Amino acid sequence: MSKLKSPGELEALRHEIQSKRGAKQMITVCSGTGCLACGAVELTAAFIREIEKKELAHKVEVRPTGCHGFCERGPIVVILPQKICYLRASVEDVAEIVEKTLIKGELVDRLLYEDPETGKRIRYVDDIPFYKHQQRILLAGNVLIDPTNIWDYLAVGGYAALAKALFESTPEEIIDIVKESGLRGRGGGGFPTGVKWETTRNASAKPKYAIVNADEGDPGAYMDRSLLEGNPHGIIEGLIIGAYAIGANEGFIYVRREYPLACKNTRIAIEQAREYGFLGTDILGSGFDFDISVHHGAGAFVSGESSALMNAIEGRVGEPRPKYVHTSVKGLWDKPSCLNNVETWANIPFIVTKGAGWFKRMGTPGSTGTKIFSLVGKVNNTGLVEVPMGMSIRDIIFKIGAGIPGNKKFKAVQTGGPSGGVLPEKLLDLPVDFDELTKAGSMMGSGGMIVMDEDTCMVDTARYYIDFLAHESCGKCVPCREGLRQMLKILNRITRGEGTMEDIGLLEELCSVIKVASLCGLGQSSVNPVMSVLKYFGKEVEAHVKDKRCPAGVCKNLIAFHIDPEKCKGCGLCAKNCPANAITKTADKVHVIDQDLCIKCGLCISVCPEKFRAVEKVPAFQFQNAV
Amino acid sequence: MYLNNNEEATLFGSNPQHADVVVIDDDDSMCEGCRQTLEAGGFRAAVARNGNDGLRLVRHTRPHVALVDLKMPGIPGLEVMAKIPQIDSSIVIVVITGHGTIDTAVESMKIGAFDFLTKPFDPERLLETVQRGIKLSEIRKTPASTAKETMAAPKQPMPQKVDKHEVLLEGLAMLMHGYEAGLERQDVLNELRYLESEAKYHAESLGQVKKREKAILDIINQLKVVDEIIEKHGFRKNALIQILLDIQARLNWLPRHTLKWLSARLGVSLAEINTIAHFYGAFSLEPRGRHTIEVCLGTACHVRGGTDLLAKISALLGLKAGETDTQQIFTLKTVHCLGCCALAPVMQIDGKPYSNPSLDQMKKLFASIQNEEELVCRN
Amino acid sequence: MGTVAMKIDGKNVTADEGKTILQAALAAGIDIPHMCYLEQLEPYGACRLCMVEVTANKRTRMVASCAYPVKEGLEVKTDSEALRKVRKLLVELLWPLAPELAEKYGITASRFSNDHTDCSMCGKCVRYCSEIKKKEVLYFKGRGIEREIAAVPELVSECVYCQECFKECNGGLILKQAGMPWA
Repeated sequence: MSKLKSPGELEALRHEIQSKRGAKQMITVCSGTGCLACGAVELTAAFIREIEKKELAHKVEVRPTGCHGFCERGPIVVILPQKICYLRASVEDVAEIVEKTLIKGELVDRLLYEDPETGKRIRYVDDIPFYKHQQRILLAGNVLIDPTNIWDYLAVGGYAALAKALFESTPEEIIDIVKESGLRGRGGGGFPTGVKWETTRNASAKPKYAIVNADEGDPGAYMDRSLLEGNPHGIIEGLIIGAYAIGANEGFIYVRREYPLACKNTRIAIEQAREYGFLGTDILGSGFDFDISVHHGAGAFVSGESSALMNAIEGRVGEPRPKYVHTSVKGLWDKPSCLNNVETWANIPFIVTKGAGWFKRMGTPGSTGTKIFSLVGKVNNTGLVEVPMGMSIRDIIFKIGAGIPGNKKFKAVQTGGPSGGVLPEKLLDLPVDFDELTKAGSMMGSGGMIVMDEDTCMVDTARYYIDFLAHESCGKCVPCREGLRQMLKILNRITRGEGTMEDIGLLEELCSVIKVASLCGLGQSSVNPVMSVLKYFGKEVEAHVKDKRCPAGVCKNLIAFHIDPEKCKGCGLCAKNCPANAITKTADKVHVIDQDLCIKCGLCISVCPEKFRAVEKVPAFQFQNAV
Repeated sequence: MYLNNNEEATLFGSNPQHADVVVIDDDDSMCEGCRQTLEAGGFRAAVARNGNDGLRLVRHTRPHVALVDLKMPGIPGLEVMAKIPQIDSSIVIVVITGHGTIDTAVESMKIGAFDFLTKPFDPERLLETVQRGIKLSEIRKTPASTAKETMAAPKQPMPQKVDKHEVLLEGLAMLMHGYEAGLERQDVLNELRYLESEAKYHAESLGQVKKREKAILDIINQLKVVDEIIEKHGFRKNALIQILLDIQARLNWLPRHTLKWLSARLGVSLAEINTIAHFYGAFSLEPRGRHTIEVCLGTACHVRGGTDLLAKISALLGLKAGETDTQQIFTLKTVHCLGCCALAPVMQIDGKPYSNPSLDQMKKLFASIQNEEELVCRN
Repeated sequence: MGTVAMKIDGKNVTADEGKTILQAALAAGIDIPHMCYLEQLEPYGACRLCMVEVTANKRTRMVASCAYPVKEGLEVKTDSEALRKVRKLLVELLWPLAPELAEKYGITASRFSNDHTDCSMCGKCVRYCSEIKKKEVLYFKGRGIEREIAAVPELVSECVYCQECFKECNGGLILKQAGMPWA
């Protein structure tokens, strides 16, 4: 393939691709990381073999695509153009799907989504409640495109925005469109993207750099992973447009090494983009030069902080810099550097193509556009959801997520990762909006939405985040390092039932100082999880401190597992499954748990047959008294 | 040698047909200073006072290293830099820059300079840089297949060795050269002593009693891998983290001698390498098992029982998080979010994720890996 | 390079451009508590004891004076209720590492269990070794609460002859931390 030298050549190629491909039927198999873990590779191979066997290759294409989002039910198969959606498909189903659906036009009922309320089978993707309430713009490409094939991206209009930007707009006009769209950074802070770009454009030093932050570190969030895995060209196109707008000729994609598939697909996409002339010198004959290198993160949450990330690209240790000049003016190699996260960049081609007005019509006045959330935790439909800003958290969890599994009660939702906070039930009607979430003591963050039910302990959640941050921060400044160390000690004490009321006061004091005194944003926001737990779940904290009780039955020191001798029938399942060999049979032919050996994993409860229900979780002190 | 129509360019050195180093700088005292230092260090040096002459000189003498001043009258240093590879792509370019122009120097490194020297620089730094540059140039001149051997047996007279780890590295190089050439010299024996202590340390850290020769061979092979990786990254200092990641991926850990080697090859301090190696979760300074089991402790996994999963695996393998079994089959690790949140809780073996595996499933998985390993060992 | 005029605690202070607030204050005889700052070294911004309140463009915020560059018209407060609260807690967190400051703020005991603070991780030793001596023997090992000062084993013999950083150590126990044999 020789390089494309003009927008005309690009359009001609697009036509050629579209006409060559014609109207084939297509079997798309989700090949995101989630589905790969459930056997998507074998499934794709089986489809290809079956199609060949039935000599349908001229009529049917099998395409492994990016993440479809409904990870709970993977592997997902969607048959186009009908949009018939089969969930949890396996190799054994392949022959039947091909025979029935592709040849005879019938459905394989058992693989369709079943509405949990009506029991009715739902035929089409768009009618499944999980998808019905979403507005998929950024994720739309994921389900259609084989991320390793640039033709797929071109077929759906890829790189048209780049041509438009380079030939129909000046850099200033692009910045104006982005400013006008109201797009705010999707990585966490929500800083207006256009303003950031303008700062870098106006900075006098040269050269300038454009950087993609794909060091998605927030535990519980994986939308950047899916975008980069599923549609890397979308991000590359956004980055080239941004580079043109700010005047950069060199760009970087900083991607976590924990995402091997994202690393691979990005590399392939960059090579293809170079081959087709979207990267390199004189892009599409515009005279604009730009190229991208990929850097791999080596596993440190703090490296996602902008100045730390730039240190890491320079080959130095990923620690934040103590500087009061923004990286958009003095960043990589002390040069003006524009850093945005994956999802922010992915929005750019759409804004350029469809205009600021179109973008602004979605969302709220303060937070425009859509946002991808990773809806995970104790929720029925886990997966990636893209909704317009301003949708209520309740709608996301209950309409899209179909509520809490096992008839459990909703307790809290955590947003914004370790920089965010937990929100209680009374705030469920809060719209997802940068400012509203911040006001409530949480944060938009990168879009993790972790649902917690009555079995989740909020003190343990606070402890979890502080433990995470204490180990994932850089440890440079005193308030963050020593403050988190002491907070962790206190929270560990409380979860062990050794906390005092003074401890709670100390926690509050530590929060207030760490928040203002820490060197970087990670430290300053690190107290949010604890502050929000103290604010909304004070009673639960006090239960741990005053009554030495963990209401959710999570804190290991405060609970014990006990086999009710009346109910135990001596079937031996618990003893067989106990990984610690802590369960023995007594002379009375019932089982008993040796509390010293018990690692409190709870496996005995889950394997005890429903009809006996002999194993129970009891407060530790109660059990000890009974003995 | 004689240069046409050129009274400015001057050549020094015993053999004017060839030079190891060409210095291109408009500053007289600078040129003279460099020349003296280089010759004292055993290198043949030639100097030119402007870009055009410099290029001509480079064309005639085909040096290993060219030192180029960025600020010169006539054609600018950056242009000279761009033209040198067209003459001979094996020539290594080192940039000389005045005080306060670090930015340009960094820029120049990104467009192909090997390293830079900020005026005024001390002689040791000059020699050390040139020495590294020559090694790189040797590699570039040799066909890929034999590159490593050549690199390890430098033909240039080396200036006096300055520090201990340099000595070790040189020792290793000489030892390899010595073995190949069938030489037996006091030098080789002396350096062998360093190597031995290093080999002993290496063998101990692997928890194995290995024969001395085997341990040394191991080290040599590992250093070859390191060289391959450094070369792939174009000897760039700012690729340090990427290079370490690659070494970790290839060797499964970062043996101490590879860090030393890297430090000398790249001209990055051991302190900096150690800082990075200890900072990031990806690196291991102790041998890891051949199979890594990672238990995700991201938030989604945490609320769906990630810690319980860890407790079960721990109990099954008899390992705590971060530990490796004595046979070095498994390393158990925790990781903060693999981005498989919808499948929580997740365990990953050698990069393949498993969603909420049952106890039985895990027992089978671990047993099959153990069996495989035993088979491999027996064969 | 020009100079800028600003106010520190109501006092008019002029300073060279490119200086930091802490440098300007110290030059003008105004003391701001500090621990990780050392004149010869690059600003590091780790101890956060030198936090001050800065008012620029009618916005007031707390910044580390050792890293914040001086600016024309800046108004700086080196002491306030909020600053005292921050410093007192930091001193408590570092206890017993900053005895003079503890005395100044009337702290006689810490409410925390400080069993690891034989080193404040101010990094003066590491930075002195690298920036001034160019030896690069010491380094920061690990991250987060596991961060510590360590010496490169292959180079630690250098310390026998140098030891210049010892006098800069706040805790005095850095040698133990660095695992040096003779400490």
